[in-house]
This record gives sequence, C-alpha cells and structure tokens, in this order.
Amino acid sequence: MDKKRLKYFVISCTSVIVFLGIWYLCTAVLELVRPTSLPDPVTVVKTFFYKLTHKAPDGATLMQHMYSSLRVALMGYALSLIIGIPLGILMAWSKPIDLLASPVFDFVKAIPGLAWAPMMIILMGIGIASKGVTIFISGMIPCVLNAYVGIKQTKEVHLWVARTFGATRRQMLFKVAIPTALPYIITGARVSLGACWMTIVAAEMVASSSGLGYMIQQCRGIYRPDVIIVGMLTIGFLGSLLTALLGCIERALVKGRDYEK
Amino acid sequence: MKNKAKQKQIAIKILATIFSFLIFGLLWEMLVRFSDVGRVMPGPLETLQSFFEHFTEKYSAYTLPEHVWRSLRRVLTGYFFAAIAAIALGILMASYKTIDAIVSPLFNMVRPIPPVAWIPLAILWFGINDGSKYFLIFWASFLSMVQNVYAGTKSADPKLIGAAKMLGANDGHIFLTIVLPSAVPYIFSGLQLGINSAWAMAIGSEMIRSTDGVGWLIIRGMDNNNLLQELVGILAVGIVGFALASVLRGVEAKLCRWNKRGT
Repeated sequence: MDKKRLKYFVISCTSVIVFLGIWYLCTAVLELVRPTSLPDPVTVVKTFFYKLTHKAPDGATLMQHMYSSLRVALMGYALSLIIGIPLGILMAWSKPIDLLASPVFDFVKAIPGLAWAPMMIILMGIGIASKGVTIFISGMIPCVLNAYVGIKQTKEVHLWVARTFGATRRQMLFKVAIPTALPYIITGARVSLGACWMTIVAAEMVASSSGLGYMIQQCRGIYRPDVIIVGMLTIGFLGSLLTALLGCIERALVKGRDYEK
Repeated sequence: MKNKAKQKQIAIKILATIFSFLIFGLLWEMLVRFSDVGRVMPGPLETLQSFFEHFTEKYSAYTLPEHVWRSLRRVLTGYFFAAIAAIALGILMASYKTIDAIVSPLFNMVRPIPPVAWIPLAILWFGINDGSKYFLIFWASFLSMVQNVYAGTKSADPKLIGAAKMLGANDGHIFLTIVLPSAVPYIFSGLQLGINSAWAMAIGSEMIRSTDGVGWLIIRGMDNNNLLQELVGILAVGIVGFALASVLRGVEAKLCRWNKRGT
C-alpha cells in the first residue's frame, strides 16, 4: 500500500519537474516563445526577488501592492460578513421579509460583483470606498445565500420540541436554528472570501493606482509577463493563505462548541 | 382543495415579487430625488425607459440586444468547450490514479489563482480581441467545473462497484450503470457554477479590453461619466445571468428527476 503511494508521489513530482523542464526548454533553450509573451521560469524567480525590494516598473514593491490589496479586500469582506449573515438569517426566519426581499435579492445575485465596480467608481471616486463597496456586494451574496439555506435546513420537529418546552421565538432562533445553520454559514464565509479576493483583483484592474491587480494590468501594457506571472502566483498564494487561515478559525470555533458541551 | 391552497400560495408569491420590486424602485427613486446622488444617478423609470429604447437605438455600433448577443456568443462557445473538457478530464482523473497523479499537482498550482488574474497574460498570449476572451471564459468555467466532475465520479458507492465486479460486470458496464448515474447530479451543480463564472468572466474581460458586449457598455459608461448607460448594462447583465441560471436549472430538473436536490 505504502509502495503504491510512493509510486504516485514520484509520478506527481516527475510531472511538475517535466512541466517546468518543458517550460524552460521552450523559452530559454529553444526560444520558441518570445520573452515578451512568456519568460523562462528562472527569470520569474529572479523577478520575484527583485520586486520584493524594487519599485520598478510599476511604482511600488510587491509588499506595498499586497498590503494595499489585502487591506481593501479584508475590509469589504468584514463588512459583507457583518451585514450578509444576519440578513440571510433574517430572510429565512421571517416570512414577510423573505417574500419581500427574496425577489430583488435573486435578481441582484445574478449580477457578477465586479459589474458594480464602474458605477461605484463614478459615485465614490477611485479610492478605497468604491472598491470596498464593490467587494462588499460580491462577498455578501454567498453569505446571505448560505445563511438562508442553513436556517431553512432546520428540522420542523426540532422547532416543535422547542415550542413544546415553552421556548420563545427568539430562543428557537438562537438555540435551534442558528446552531443548525452554522456549518452552512461557515461555508458561506469561505465562498465569500474567494469572491472578495477575486473581485479586488478585478476591481484593481479596472481602475486603481495600487494593488496586485493594478500591478499585473500595468505590466501587460509594458510587456513584462515575468512581473505578471509573479503577480498571479502571489495572488494565488495569498488566496490560499487566507482560506487556510479561515480554516484554522473555523476549526477553533467548532472545537469551542464541542468543549462547551 | 389542495390545489386551491397552492394557487393561493402562487398568487401571494407573484404579488410579493411585484411589491418587492416596487419597493426597491421607490427607495431608488427617493435616493435619487432627495440626495446628492441624484445629480449623477438616473432614477429607475429613466433607466427602464433607456433600457427599452436601446432595443432599437444604438450604443456605438450595436443595439442593446446585439451587445448582449455578442457577450453571450463568447460565453456559450467558451462554456461549451470547457464543459466537454472538464467532464472528460474530471472523469479520467477520478478513474485512473496515474492520470490523477500527473495532473493534480499542476492543477493545484494554478487553481488558487482567480481566473480574472489571467486576463493580462491572456491578452499578451491571444491578443486583445476575441481570442483572449474565449480562452478566459473557457478557463474560468473549466476550473469551476472540473472539481465537481471529479468529486461526482469519486462519489460512486464502492460497495455497489464491488458487487457489480463480483457478478462479472466489465469496467465499461460499471462506468455506465453505476459511476455515471451517481456523478450526474454533481456534474450538473458543476455546470451551474461554470455558467456563473463564464458569465462573470465575460463581463470582466470585456470591461478590461473590448469594443463591444455588455461589459464594454458598463465600462464605457464609466469612461464617459454616463451612469444611465452603466445601469442599463447592469440590468442586462442581471437579466441574462438570471436567464442562464434558470435554463440550466430547468434542464437539470428535467434530466435528473430521480435525484432532486433542493435548491
């Protein structure tokens, strides 16, 4: 069994090495592709270390771009959690609110978040506020949706039991419905994080003066694919890092709940 | 008796929907009328009027439906090939460990990168015209579909497969009668996710660089400080997005009647 796993591990490693090898061969050795469309992997690594400390060619170091993107993304994300989750719970819990809010929400849901970016830029300028609101909208949708579905999953029987024992409607919400919905809410938070991170990159590409999206968009104009690839990998890495952090928080939360019992 | 109750429920729902949009429109109108926003932002009636006017009037070279069709054509082409590729690769990866071992590490390297981040590179590779958009839409919907197909193929009950093997079914037979039926619901939720990301990607890539399409409408509205055009664009994006999702949901309900997931 272990031998088998080793075999597949070796295959995986070979696959990555072969991929990088072909990339290197096509770019640096055989020069099949122009370096203005695809640089060789060694250049990409060099550019990464160069960008850590140098501002050229796009006006800020990698760290500054990362800070700027992260700040806005996390701000919008926090806002979408704070507003989205209670809104979803409210919509699922109260019938009149559900009837009135759901149709409009279903329509807004169909609009990709970044479509709002240009309008927010006109209304609020190209600074943090417009991007924050765009991210908030795209992050809020999965939060609302999952919280809504989660609350709707509550079993009628559980509610009946609670009522039989004289629970008020408020107690039923906090002691029965929300605990049932918690896994869904957490899933919503995770999906929302991905949406926020994607939207900040897109919004920065549309109009901005800093951030990772801005960096890769600028470097397209001056034919620097090495910086673009560094930017893309950084975006991917930061995205995974944020998701992993959220996973840790999630586990801590769930553990805390078990401990309480 | 039951039918009547159902009818009543539907009536309430329709009324609530109308009411819901009315309230939304009223809030919007009030925002425009009584605050500074009104100086740049048109009201709901004005937006609707402009929306319908542009069925015949042109934004630059095309009318609104033509712009929508241009975006839609890109989406459907990219999405179609992405669906085929994702279903094929997902099933192959889940069925053959060697393929899984070869593709997974490469896939895991690129998966965390949001598809929009590929826009600059795609433009360098495929030019600023439709080439890069087809690639981006393909890539965005492919990424969101492949995992579902993979998970679906893996979800087949091993006990059933074991039983079939014991009774002498060959691999092809097992695949068609056990693996595929259990994968279909997953594949459909993947297709749903895929069409959403394809549509979002089309808007995104058109916003970055294009000369037509709904994304272009929205971004050109920003460049000209024309919020009316932007709102019409957003309205069109919402309607088409809603329609695409509904069509897929309808198809799924028809095809997978045996496995109705609550949506």
